[in-house]
Amino acid sequence: MSKTAPKRYMLNTEFSSFYELRELIFKSLPAEKDDMVRRINNLGKIRLAIISGLFINKGNSDPLAADLLIVGDYIDKRKARSFLRSIEAEVGKEIKYSMMDKEEFEYRLAMFDRFIRVLLEGPHEKLINKLGI
Amino acid sequence: MSKSRSKLEVLFGSKARVKMLKFLFHNQGPGFTAREIAARIQELPATVNIEIKKFMEIGLLRVKK
Repeated sequence: MSKTAPKRYMLNTEFSSFYELRELIFKSLPAEKDDMVRRINNLGKIRLAIISGLFINKGNSDPLAADLLIVGDYIDKRKARSFLRSIEAEVGKEIKYSMMDKEEFEYRLAMFDRFIRVLLEGPHEKLINKLGI
Repeated sequence: MSKSRSKLEVLFGSKARVKMLKFLFHNQGPGFTAREIAARIQELPATVNIEIKKFMEIGLLRVKK
């Protein structure tokens, strides 16, 4: 058993421009919004798409807050999974997302559902909004 | 997947490099093997290894002890 464990790498916080670089990377995150809109619209009959949390780089302290909410009908599950995987690869992190149809969303909105409320009351941006909310 | 290159990709010269930087800055702490990084950012381990070597050379990355 002489096989050594593979090396684990981590960022060196003593790197001369560490914080400037971090700032630059974090600011860049709105990973091509137009591109995201196009790809989300391609998933089905999309009524609403909201980004928050990790996509808008404002410390959303509520751990319940989602990073991405997509409301729509006839969403192609397979396409959606592949879209999410590629977004996760782009941002380099697991994203907290939720997908629901229009009926469920409107029900939950009317019920003042906590999940929906946290998202809409916190810092967020509507990429697609055909529901007039 | 996306055809257009982001400003950062142009600036840094490689999509894989930008993905790696985003991944590393958003997942600070535990340290990752080259293989783990490659799996998470959906790039080839060989590509990731090249970037790791460069990042090590300039002192941006270090090996976790």
